[in-house]
Amino acid sequence: MPLQYYIEKLNLDEAELQSRRDFFEITADDLTTLAGLKTFAEKHTDDIVEDLYRLILGHPEAKKQFTEHATLVRVKRAQRDYFLGLFSGRCDLAYAQDRLRIGIAHERVGVPPKWYLGAYARYLRSIFDRLVVELPDPAQARAAYQSIEKLVAFDTALAMDTYIAAQLGALERHQAAIRELSTPIIRLYQQVLLLPLIGTIDTHRADQLMEAVLLKVVEEQAHVIIIDIAGVPLVDTKVADHLLKTTEAVRLLGAQTILSGISPIIAKTIVNLGMNISAMHTKSRLADALELAFEIIGKRVTSSARNHPSAPAEATEKS
Amino acid sequence: MSAHGSIPVLRIGSTLLASIQVELRDTIADAFQEDILQTIAKTGATGLVIDITGLEMVDSYVGRVLTNTGRMATLMGTHAVVVGMRPVVAATLVRMGFRMEGVLTALNVDAGLALVSELIARRHGAGR
Repeated sequence: MPLQYYIEKLNLDEAELQSRRDFFEITADDLTTLAGLKTFAEKHTDDIVEDLYRLILGHPEAKKQFTEHATLVRVKRAQRDYFLGLFSGRCDLAYAQDRLRIGIAHERVGVPPKWYLGAYARYLRSIFDRLVVELPDPAQARAAYQSIEKLVAFDTALAMDTYIAAQLGALERHQAAIRELSTPIIRLYQQVLLLPLIGTIDTHRADQLMEAVLLKVVEEQAHVIIIDIAGVPLVDTKVADHLLKTTEAVRLLGAQTILSGISPIIAKTIVNLGMNISAMHTKSRLADALELAFEIIGKRVTSSARNHPSAPAEATEKS
Repeated sequence: MSAHGSIPVLRIGSTLLASIQVELRDTIADAFQEDILQTIAKTGATGLVIDITGLEMVDSYVGRVLTNTGRMATLMGTHAVVVGMRPVVAATLVRMGFRMEGVLTALNVDAGLALVSELIARRHGAGR
């Protein structure tokens, strides 16, 4: 996902930035304090970064992220830039986007949030240890530390948001894939469509189903669509109502619906619930539905006696 | 009767074909219904095909006009078929609980004309 995707997902504009800065209580004074610590930062960058990687490389599982030496050199350099960025005295949109970019990079290579958060905690401790040595005045050290902590929290929030946005993005893509899979309308024959339904039908899916069916009927100029519900575990009043609505809409287009796959349980349920689905053609077996469909479009299934002399004559003679 | 002038009713043999290409505003809808019924009375048409492919939106009023026109034509002894409804229109009507009961439908003009002649042939067959 490109940076732009995350900026949009997080709605990261000037107003959002201001809102975040307000909540993390990052004031102009904090930024001045941070800018004033630049020499301190430059002096200790290497130490602090090395310290961080001692933690990471000392942990067998976290270490796995850095199997190659080249990678390690690269991320250490990036880490130095990141660290110095904290003392740039800025917290504007460009800064936030830069932080977002870092979060995206971590998410992309699959650094789990736990390492991310643990590393930040170590970061803060390292900085604290050096600050108290560097700034003998406790009040001054405290103020400096608080400013750093605020900005680190601000950065952490952005990083977590990118993780969440990435997951949501993946979820959306999966849902789209499932939606496509949930309405597999097949062309069985000229003017005959089949929709084999599998799984639970809720209102949302029923709406999608109806739309997909109607579009396909018109697109294929189909005269008949067979909806097979053998794979639907539960048919209650709601589901039956959806099916009836779809049947009615299909009729408005000038085509017909055949409902097949009606098991004894479904037949019982429908009757016991007092539902009237007499507006639909219904069949228990798909084969029967197909024969009916052929009848509707004026075709007939007959056995070929010549090829199968022993086969029972299953010709569908209309009496 | 041609004051509205916007929905021509064509005669193909003993079947009337009306193709609605304009938005059916209330006045046009009423005039259209009147025009159809008068033409049936005048010509003794045995079939009526109303093509609504051009309608992108059908509200309950227009839906009722179409349904009623079909039913009225049927009362006058004419087989009426509404053809070419768009998927969105069908979905909307059904969601509104509108059923267009008593009106036959077909996918397109071709299928509509075929259905009408089939119905006419069947009636003649039954009459024999």
